[in-house]
Amino acid sequence: MGRVPTKYINRELSWLEFNQRVLDEAGDGATPLLSRLMFLAITGSNLDEFFMVRVGGLQLLDQQGSTKTDASGMTPQQQLASISARTHRMMLEQYTCYLNELEPALADAGIRRVRPAELTAQQSKAIAQVFESRIYPVLTPMAVGGRDDFPLLINQTLNACVQLEAADDEQRPRFAVIPFGPSSSRFITLPSEGGYEYMLLEDAVEMFADRFFPGEKIVECVAFRITRNADLAVREDLASDLLVQMEHLLDARTSGDCVRLEIGDGVTPATLRFLQETLDVDDVNVYAAPGPVDLAAFFQLIDLPGFDNLRYEPWPPQASPDVDPTADIFSTIARDDVLLYHPYESFDPVLRLIEEAAIDPDVLAIKQTLYRTSRNSPVVAALRKAAEHGKYVTVIVELKARFDEARNIEWARSLEQAGVQVFYGVKGYKTHSKLCIVVRREPAGIRRYVHFGTGNYNETTARLYSDVSLMTCNEELGADATSFFNAITGYSQLQKFRRIEAAPIGLRDRLLEMIRSETQRQKESGRASITAKLNSLVDPEIIDALYEASQAGVPVRLNIRGICCLRPGVKGLSENITVVGVVDRFLEHARIFHFHHGGDERVFISSADWMHRNLDRRVELLVPVDNSRARERLLSILELYFKDTVKGRRLLSDGTYVPVNPANGARPFRSQQRLYELTCEAVKQARQSRPTAFEPHRAPGHSST
Amino acid sequence: MNTRSTTSATDGDATVDGQSLGMRPVAVIDIGTTLIRMAIAEIDPAGNIRRLETLSQAVNLGKDTFTTGEIRKTTIEDCVRVLRSYQRVLREFQVESPSQIRVVATSAVREANNRLAFLDRIYVATGIEVEPIDEAEVNRITYLGIQPLLQAEEQLASAQTIVIEVGGGNTEVLIIRGEDVLFAHTYRLGSLRLRETLESYRAPLGQMRAIMESHIRRTVEQVAQHVDLGQQRELIAIGGDVRFAASQLLPDWNPQRPGRLSIDELEGFTQRVLSMSEDELSRTHHLSFADAETLGPALLAYVGLARGLQIDEMYIANVNLRDGLLQDVASDGVWTEDFNNQIIRSALELGRKFDFDETHALQVAELSQTLFRSLAEEHQLGSRYELMLYVAALLHEIGLFVSSNSHHKHSMYLIRNSELFGLSESDVLLVSLVARYHRRASPKPSHEGYSSLDRDRRVAVAKLGAILRLADALDRSRSQRIHEIQCSRDEGRLIISAPHVDDLTLEQLALKQKGTFFEEVFGMQAELRKAAD
Repeated sequence: MGRVPTKYINRELSWLEFNQRVLDEAGDGATPLLSRLMFLAITGSNLDEFFMVRVGGLQLLDQQGSTKTDASGMTPQQQLASISARTHRMMLEQYTCYLNELEPALADAGIRRVRPAELTAQQSKAIAQVFESRIYPVLTPMAVGGRDDFPLLINQTLNACVQLEAADDEQRPRFAVIPFGPSSSRFITLPSEGGYEYMLLEDAVEMFADRFFPGEKIVECVAFRITRNADLAVREDLASDLLVQMEHLLDARTSGDCVRLEIGDGVTPATLRFLQETLDVDDVNVYAAPGPVDLAAFFQLIDLPGFDNLRYEPWPPQASPDVDPTADIFSTIARDDVLLYHPYESFDPVLRLIEEAAIDPDVLAIKQTLYRTSRNSPVVAALRKAAEHGKYVTVIVELKARFDEARNIEWARSLEQAGVQVFYGVKGYKTHSKLCIVVRREPAGIRRYVHFGTGNYNETTARLYSDVSLMTCNEELGADATSFFNAITGYSQLQKFRRIEAAPIGLRDRLLEMIRSETQRQKESGRASITAKLNSLVDPEIIDALYEASQAGVPVRLNIRGICCLRPGVKGLSENITVVGVVDRFLEHARIFHFHHGGDERVFISSADWMHRNLDRRVELLVPVDNSRARERLLSILELYFKDTVKGRRLLSDGTYVPVNPANGARPFRSQQRLYELTCEAVKQARQSRPTAFEPHRAPGHSST
Repeated sequence: MNTRSTTSATDGDATVDGQSLGMRPVAVIDIGTTLIRMAIAEIDPAGNIRRLETLSQAVNLGKDTFTTGEIRKTTIEDCVRVLRSYQRVLREFQVESPSQIRVVATSAVREANNRLAFLDRIYVATGIEVEPIDEAEVNRITYLGIQPLLQAEEQLASAQTIVIEVGGGNTEVLIIRGEDVLFAHTYRLGSLRLRETLESYRAPLGQMRAIMESHIRRTVEQVAQHVDLGQQRELIAIGGDVRFAASQLLPDWNPQRPGRLSIDELEGFTQRVLSMSEDELSRTHHLSFADAETLGPALLAYVGLARGLQIDEMYIANVNLRDGLLQDVASDGVWTEDFNNQIIRSALELGRKFDFDETHALQVAELSQTLFRSLAEEHQLGSRYELMLYVAALLHEIGLFVSSNSHHKHSMYLIRNSELFGLSESDVLLVSLVARYHRRASPKPSHEGYSSLDRDRRVAVAKLGAILRLADALDRSRSQRIHEIQCSRDEGRLIISAPHVDDLTLEQLALKQKGTFFEEVFGMQAELRKAAD
């Protein structure tokens, strides 16, 4: 495009490259088939959110004529053009993968899409029945004359557009829209001899479309879907950088808020023109799908009963050898800090902390942040129980949208009814930090047990996301955690922290200070290094500090799963920085930072990515890990990601990624697999070093060692 | 005076509330000019303090009092809200009994015209009894807070140490050598007061500094009179503003230990702070607006004081009123021996100033103490009263310096208008009244000062005055010949036996004259007998 590359990679294009890496997993023949389908569905739902939030925002800016450039020097218009081109290319690849590889392979494996022409007699009968009993009664076609009477379509829900032949006295064809509604199942199960056979809803509707329009001639029936600009509540969190410019524009918004039109690629020009005109969609925002519209729908198939051979072999979470299942969790933590690396290690000890606290007679209070948890969460149940047992329980809940529907906050209300003091977030900020404090009265005085995490208190995602848990009763960390909690609940102004840092107050400064101190040490002693694992790196100030470090000669290694706006390997700017990303079966979600610090190594875990939104608009934590065992373990974990030659991808200075190849002769190395093996080995070792033995009770005073 | 009573002082027994292994959770709340702060701590049986939690919330008390003289209704309700939220935190720690909590208010409440309305409203809304503490009490508490530090730092133990805290309303100055407080005073120089003064002047920005400096200079001159500039001096600055400056200027400062800051550096920093607007300050330094407002004036005062005392470097200590309050609570409200000695030294200092008969004074004081302890059953007063009696006995005759006519009244007047380190204003009043009643008229409601006391204190004055009269009579000879006495009770009489003295006529006569008041108060006659050798 002839633009001179700037210091930063555009964040939208970087995000699209992340989605491409997910798509690469769908294309990886070594991955089990249904797991490949899952990756494909993820790319679909990722794109849905991306369009709704990011593209929607950019379009709005562009419509208002904004020519303000982002950090990478691109105007909204330039970004939109690049996004459209890149996404069209990606979409082609998605469908190539689906149509040429996954669909035929799934059919071979027994999961088969049946098109109307392929129906057996028995299946024909069945589908006719389904249509009459379950589809026809709920779908309502709406005739459309033009823009004014076009029905309000639900965001990202499938519809059929039906073109009817023009009546004799009319010039133009007539159109109708049949919205499928959010609750209709996309997959209609068909009777089959073996395996699983299904028909897609749009195929069934097309088959029987004439039932809706008796006496009319149907020219075509085509599936389509629109993506709308996200509502404010969602955008506040995910596009806060754009929001600042957008706020005053939102009111000025006109009806044309269709950000993207996806439609089956067999559509006739007349129908497409009709939809584009009525929905006010430019050509660049039309995405013609060579296969089923809305690939995210395939999430429904990946958990199909049976077919376990088509999924990843299970890697069940292991019980941490550091946690004695027979001892109470408090004495375990009191003995030594407990570090857990999920999902390789089970989340249970964290649940145990809360559950045991709920009924422990010596526990006085529990304080907990909850970010996007669910109604059935055992954490919520334990907190409710604790309050019923007379503990002082204080909870900060962060809801997805602040004024969510009643059912979403029902569980929060149930906490209140049990006597829990519930705070619904912090005004102006999302509470993203993961923190649980248990205050316990012990013979030696009050002791605080704290859990710091990088992931949510959500037992489902704890099985899929890689996250760190640190459980400790360190006095300073406990005091800091309490100060932090008192501050966000308004009980106190912020007191000076002893060890931790929090956004939006001192976290950014502390990070910059740590990075700059490495730069300084490199200049003075020639010994410094920075290693970090995070989800996204966007913040220009942090990137600049890393550039300076690189220029001073500090080796900087970054393991970034998602967006990275830092341009690595540019001579004179960033040649000492390497960036690798790992996309594998578990979602890399932990944030771990390591600074050499003149040999007095500093390791942190954090809830925050290095983005404006995390550092300035969210309540986040940065927690030092000083326990030497925990620190060593984290460092060894961190190291594995830089060795990955199977799922590792290295970022090039042009913003694209290439596989990390094993050195000549070296065996391929897959970090997640190694982590799973290491965890299992540790469990086994612990079991062996603790052989079943009878331990007689000895008289006091006899040393058993 | 070298014993510690195990029975607690006047107000409430600080019982151990059945906590695990005697760990006692306590809390202190300090209602200041811009903040209400709370510290929650645990005290172990040895009296060691472990801080658990520190909270603070902003209030506008100083702003109200120092501008209009009155605390506004909305501010009072803010205070109620803050205290209620603190009560919830206290319940979490099961700190609920009044004996575990001490709530004090400093100058902004003390000086407010509607102080009583404020205290009542807080009590009604929260059940919390706020104790407005006077300057002397603040001095005493600060001394308690700074003591551990002085003992830990060798350099400070020997030098003439000047402790300065510039608060929102007042500047507190303590001059200490070793364990002796040489001087303690509170000046009406405060950062918020300065800020409000500026606003009332509506001075142009350029002149602000000059106006503040002229205010500060007045205080500096007064302080300098009490400092021996010929001697080695160390300055310890405490207070939130200077602590903030230190955290900025001394990045490696570990607040557990005192930091060392050059005045030049502090002055440079002060200059930068004064050149910034409050918005800038709060943005660049993450300060609340209230803190941003007072930072510059406070730092300017510290710099002015250091310069005036010809000091180039000072210590910054992370000590505050809550530390002292916790020490106080940790000692169960019983003043430590150390602290008692401090007060006695300060009383002796005062007596010498008025050329008193030191041997007689000490003798009467010792006899008073013996009588006080012997009469514990009868008077039911705590050890704090013992100390006040001791001080009154030391000073009962200083009025002779003015005139021998009505010298008891002169004694009272002189004591009331003196600085007695460690005694609060009301304590000093009580001491002065006890001294007054060592002779002549017994207390009457019409007596100035006496009439303003509550009943408990009026009764205490009478009891202590009566004991003092006995002790004074016992040294009527002024020869200290009666020093070992023993008390016993016989048929409603107090029998004082003195060994080793042959002829007790003089004292017996004196006792007869002076014992009437004792009989009125205690309902028993006092009789002096010769003890069998």
